[in-house]
Amino acid sequence: MQIFELSFVAAVLLAATPILYAALAGAISAQVGVFNIALEGQMLWGAFAAVAGSYYTGSAWGGVLIALLSTALFAVILAVGSARWKADPIIIAIGTNLLALGLTGFLLRVLFDVSGSFSPRGLEGLPKMGFLADVPVIGPIFAGQTLLVPLAFVVIVAVGLWLKATPAGLRLRGVGEHPDAAASLGVNVPSFQMWATILGGALCGIAGAQLALGNVTVFTENMTAGRGWIAVAAVMLVAGRPLWLPLACLGFGAAEALGFRLQGIGAPQQLTDAAPYAITLVVLVLTRIRFARSRKVSV
Amino acid sequence: MTSTPTKPQPRARRLLATALRHPAVVPLGAVVLALLIGAVIIAAAGLDPLTAYAAVLEGSLDPRQLDYTFSVWGFICGMALAAAIPLRMGEFNLGGNGQMVLGGLTAAWVALNVPLPGILLVPLAVLAAAIVAGGFGALSAPLATRFGIPIIISTLLLSPIAVAVVSYLLRFQIGEAGSAVAQTPRLPEQGRMWALGDLSYSNTGLLVIIAMMVAFYVVDSRSAVGFELRVVGANRRFGAYGGVRVGRLAFGAMAAAGAAAGIVGAIIVMSSPYRLIDGALISPGYTFAGLAAALLAGGRPALIPVTAILFTILQVGGASMERSADVPRQLSDVLQGVVIVVLALRTVLDQRRTERSSA
Amino acid sequence: MTPPLAAAVTGESPAPAVELVGIGKRFGAVVANDGVDLVLRRGSVHAVMGENGAGKSTLMSMLFGLLKPDSGEIHVDGVPVQFDGPLDAIAAGLGMVHQHFRLFDSMTVADNVVYGAEPTRAGLIDRRAAAARVRELSERYGLETEPTAVVGSLSAGARQRVEILKALHRDARILILDEPTAVLTPSEVTSLFTVIRRAADAGTTVVLVTHKIHEVLAVSDEVTVLRDGRVTGRFATSEATSASLVHAMTGREIDEVRNPGTGTTGAVALEVDHVTVGDPRTPAVHDVSLTVHRGEIVGVAGVSGNGQHELVAAVLGTVQAASGRIRLLGEEVGGRSVRDRRAAGLAVIPEDRRGEGTAVTLSVAENVTLGHHRTAPIGASKGLRRGWMSIRAELARARELIADYDVRTSGEQQPIGALSGGNAQKVVIARELSHGAPVLIAEQPTQGVDVGAIESIHQRLLDYRAGGGAVLLVSHEISELLALADRIVVMYSGRVVAEFSAAEATTARIGAAMAGAAEAAAAPEAAPDTAPAPADTPAPEPETDRTP
Repeated sequence: MQIFELSFVAAVLLAATPILYAALAGAISAQVGVFNIALEGQMLWGAFAAVAGSYYTGSAWGGVLIALLSTALFAVILAVGSARWKADPIIIAIGTNLLALGLTGFLLRVLFDVSGSFSPRGLEGLPKMGFLADVPVIGPIFAGQTLLVPLAFVVIVAVGLWLKATPAGLRLRGVGEHPDAAASLGVNVPSFQMWATILGGALCGIAGAQLALGNVTVFTENMTAGRGWIAVAAVMLVAGRPLWLPLACLGFGAAEALGFRLQGIGAPQQLTDAAPYAITLVVLVLTRIRFARSRKVSV
Repeated sequence: MTSTPTKPQPRARRLLATALRHPAVVPLGAVVLALLIGAVIIAAAGLDPLTAYAAVLEGSLDPRQLDYTFSVWGFICGMALAAAIPLRMGEFNLGGNGQMVLGGLTAAWVALNVPLPGILLVPLAVLAAAIVAGGFGALSAPLATRFGIPIIISTLLLSPIAVAVVSYLLRFQIGEAGSAVAQTPRLPEQGRMWALGDLSYSNTGLLVIIAMMVAFYVVDSRSAVGFELRVVGANRRFGAYGGVRVGRLAFGAMAAAGAAAGIVGAIIVMSSPYRLIDGALISPGYTFAGLAAALLAGGRPALIPVTAILFTILQVGGASMERSADVPRQLSDVLQGVVIVVLALRTVLDQRRTERSSA
Repeated sequence: MTPPLAAAVTGESPAPAVELVGIGKRFGAVVANDGVDLVLRRGSVHAVMGENGAGKSTLMSMLFGLLKPDSGEIHVDGVPVQFDGPLDAIAAGLGMVHQHFRLFDSMTVADNVVYGAEPTRAGLIDRRAAAARVRELSERYGLETEPTAVVGSLSAGARQRVEILKALHRDARILILDEPTAVLTPSEVTSLFTVIRRAADAGTTVVLVTHKIHEVLAVSDEVTVLRDGRVTGRFATSEATSASLVHAMTGREIDEVRNPGTGTTGAVALEVDHVTVGDPRTPAVHDVSLTVHRGEIVGVAGVSGNGQHELVAAVLGTVQAASGRIRLLGEEVGGRSVRDRRAAGLAVIPEDRRGEGTAVTLSVAENVTLGHHRTAPIGASKGLRRGWMSIRAELARARELIADYDVRTSGEQQPIGALSGGNAQKVVIARELSHGAPVLIAEQPTQGVDVGAIESIHQRLLDYRAGGGAVLLVSHEISELLALADRIVVMYSGRVVAEFSAAEATTARIGAAMAGAAEAAAAPEAAPDTAPAPADTPAPEPETDRTP
C-alpha cells in the first residue's frame, strides 16, 4: 500500500515539474508587470530544442542546455517587443505561441523528415536518479526522476531568496509594483522587464526539456498540450507570491496524476484530461470570491 | 541612429512618413514582412521559396479547388467573427475550439434525434448550436466581471474542458457503436446543409456565415450596441462614464462570439462527411487562423473577409505546397504566427518616431 | 519689505544652496513659468506659494530635473547645473517628496528607503544596516517610524515620513516637499512641521510648496509667491501677513466678474445627503450634504484632492458611496447604474478629459455621440427600430454642435485626440449640455482651456442656469466660482467646511477656507469670521519687481 502511495507522489512530481518551471517564468514576468501568456509556446519550443539538441550532441544535458539557450533567445521577441517597443504582450504571445507550434512541426519535417513525433533510436533521455533506489521513502519517489525534478524546487527557493535578499531582486519587485517609483529612483524599468522575460524563456526551455527528455524521451507535435496555460493560471492563483507556486503546481500535478490513476481503473481519458483545467478554474473562482465581495458595483 | 552622411531629403522623408501612417499600411506591411521571413525560413531549409509560394497559390486558387477554398474561407471568417466581436471591446476570445465543438455536438444531436423535415430541422440545428455555444462563451463574462478572471484566461481554460467532454460523449455516449473512430453516425438527409448547385464543399452554410459577417458589419457600424463596443474598446472608463453597462456588453459580446463559433461547428458537422468526428473540427486550426485574421483586421468587420482570404490561401495551399514543393504544410502556422508577431511589433515605428522627435 | 534676494550670506558658505535665475517654461501656448527667480538660503525653510496653476509644480519639476527649462539657469551651491533627469538632481543633493507618494506598498519601510541605493554585504541586502540607517535618520530628524513595518499598512503621515527618509537616505541637502500637508491630519501636520524645523536646523534646505497661508506663516523663514507663472511677492516670513500673502497670491488687477444672480430658484434638483465615499476609516468624502436647486449654480471650491472628484464620481455612479443617499429630482439613485442616473436627468463634465471624458482614438462625432446614441435624432427616431442609429443624423448633429460650439477641427471624423485641449473640452461640453438634463455637474470645466473659450464656457453655464438647470460647479479657480455661483461650498479634507452665499463670498474668505483656515472653527458657519483677512483690509503692496 505504501509503495502505491509513494509512487503516486512520484507521479505527482513528474506531472508538476514542467508546469512548475513554466509557472516560475510567468511569475517572474508578473513581478516586473509583464502579463506573460507565451509560456505554452516557449515550453513547446524548449521541448523540441531539447530533443533536437540531445539528438545532435548525443547528450541529454546538451539538449537541456540548447533548450535553455534557444528558448531564452525565442523569448527575446516578447521581451524586446513588450519592454522596449511597448507592444501588446498578449498579441505578441498569441503570435509566438502559434509560431512555436508551426515552427516545431515544420522543423520536425525539414530536419528529421518525420511528422507527428520524433524519437530516433539512441535518443538520449535525461538520466534518472537510480542511485537513490535503495533509500527508503526518497527512493520510490525520486529514483525514477531526473535531476531536474528536485532542481525545480531548488530553483524556486533560490529565485524566491534572490527576489527577497538581493538588491537586484528588490529592484525587480519594485519595477512591477510601481514602475514610476522605481524609475524615479534610478532603476531602468524596461531593462528589468526585458531580462526578466528572457530569464523566463530560459526557465520555459528547462520546462520543455524536462517534458521531452525527462517525463518521456520523445518530441510530439503540440506535446505541451495546454500545460503552459495551466502555468499561467497558477501564476494568477498565487498572485505575486512565487513561493506558493509549488503548492499550486503540485495541485495541478496531482490532478493530472490522479487522472492517469483513474484511467488505469477504467475512467475515460477524455474526462481525466479535462480535470486539470476544471480544477484550475474552480480554484481560481474560489480564491476570487473575496474579489467579488469587494466590488458590488452595478455596471 | 547612425545615418548616412548625406542629408536625407526632408520632403521625401515626410512623404514616406505620411504614407507609413496610412491605415492599410500596417496590415499590408505585416503580411509582406511575414512572407519575406517565411521565404527566409524556406530558403534556410534548403528549399525554393518561390516554388513554394507558387504552389500555395496554385493549390488554393486553382479553379477546381475554389469550391473547397471558399468553404474553408467561410469557416475561417466564422471563427474570425468569434474572435473579432470581443476584440472590438478589447477582449480576447481564445476559446473558439470549445465553442465550435459544442456547437457541432449540439447540431449533430439535433439532426440525429429530432424528427422534423429538413426545412425546419436544418435551421433548428444551427440555432440550437448557436444557443448552446453562445451560452458557453458567455460564461466568461460573469467570470470576468464578478471574479476578475480575465476573459482571455477563462476562455482558454473552458475550451479544453468542452473539447474533452465532447470527445468523451462521442466515444462513450452518442458515438456510433462499433466504429474504430469516435464519431456520430452519418446525419440523415434532412439533417444536412442544403447544397449550392452541384458544389460539393461550399453549401448554404457559407451563405449563413456571409450573412453573419454582414450582420456584424451592420451592427458594428449602425447599432447602439456596436457603437458601445467600439467606445469601450477605445476607452473603458469613457464608456462607463457615458453610461455603457460594460458587464452586460461583455456578456453579449461573448455570447455572440460563442454563437458564431458554434454555428461554424454546426455547419462543418452538417457538411460532408455529415458526421461529428472526434478532433475533426479542431485539427484544421480554423480557430487560430480566424483569430489571426481578426487581429490582422484590427477587429474591423469590413476587413475580415479580406484578411481571411490570406489565411485561407495559406491553409488550403499548404497541402499542395507540401505535395509539389516539398515544403511542410506547418509553414502555414509559422506564417500565421509571424504575421501576428510582426503586427504586434509595429509599435517599434512609433517608438522610433518619438525617439527621433525627442532627440 | 526687503526681499531676501541677495543671498543672505551665512557664515558657512558664500553661495546659496540653490539659485534659480530667470526660469521660463511654456507648454504650447500656455506660459507656465516666466522669468522666475528663486533663491534658497542654506538651512532655511522656503515656502513657494501660489494657487492651483500658478506654476509652482512646473518650477519644482524643473528644479528636480523632471522637466527642462526653456530659459534660465539653475545653480546648486553656486555651480550652474543641467539636469537630464531626477537622478542628476538626486546626485546633486536634491530630494523631492511628491504629493502622490511613490512607494512600494508590499515592501517594508526599510526596503522602501534603501531601494535603488541598498547597503549590501556579500552581495545581499544588508537588512540590519538598512534598519539601522532608517533608525539613525529617524532619530536625527524626529521622523518616527518602524523599519520593519509594511508600507501598505501605514497611515498617510507615516508614508510621508518614509518618503522623506528616502530622500534623506540619499543624502539630500535640499528637500522639496510638494503640498505635503494635503493628506495629513492636523496632528500629523504639527509633527511634520517639527521635522521640517529640525531638518533646517541641521543644515538641510527645505522647500515647502503650498497654497495654505497658515502653513507658510507657521513654519517657513522666507516666502516666494507665484501667480500666473511669475513671482508676485517675496517676503521674509516674519514680515509677511495673511493679507499680504493673499494679495500677492490672488492679485487685484483682474476685475472680479460677479455673478449677477437670478434671485429665483426652483425646486431641489440634486440632493446629496450625508454621503461618505471610500474606506470609512480614511474616507475621501466624509459625510457631505448639499443641495442644488433648479435655476441655481452651486460652486464647490477646494484645492484639488480634497474629495471633490470622489463626490462627483459617487453622484455619477462610477463609484459607489459607502453610505448616505443621493437623490436626483427627488428620486433616490443610490445603487443605480450610471446609465439609469443619466436617464434620470444627470449630465457630467468630467475633470479627466483624456482618461474619462473622451476616447482619444475615436472621432469627434463618436465622442459627441456617446450617451445620445439611443435617443433621437440618432437613435429611436423616424423609421428606426430601437437599438439602431442613424449615422447620417449622428454626423449632422456632430457638425451642428461643432459649429454651435465653435470647435476647431478638420471635420467631425477627425480623431478627438488630435484636437487642442480647449477644443476637445468644447466637444465634451457640447455632448453633456445637449442632453438638456435638469442636473449638470461641471468639474473643472475650463481647465487647460484658453481665455476666449473660458468666457464662452462660462456663458454656457449661465444660460444653462437661466434655462432652469441645476448646476454643481467644481472648480479650483475662485474667480470662476465668484463669476458663476449663487452659492459656494468649500471642501477641505473630504468635508464641507464652509458655505457662502454669492453676496458673502470673497476671494479672501474662500481662499482662507480652502487653505483650511476654517478647520479650527467649531462650525462651518463660523468660517467667514475666521478668514485671515477681509478683502477690504488695506494690504501692503506686494513686491512685484522681478529683477534681482
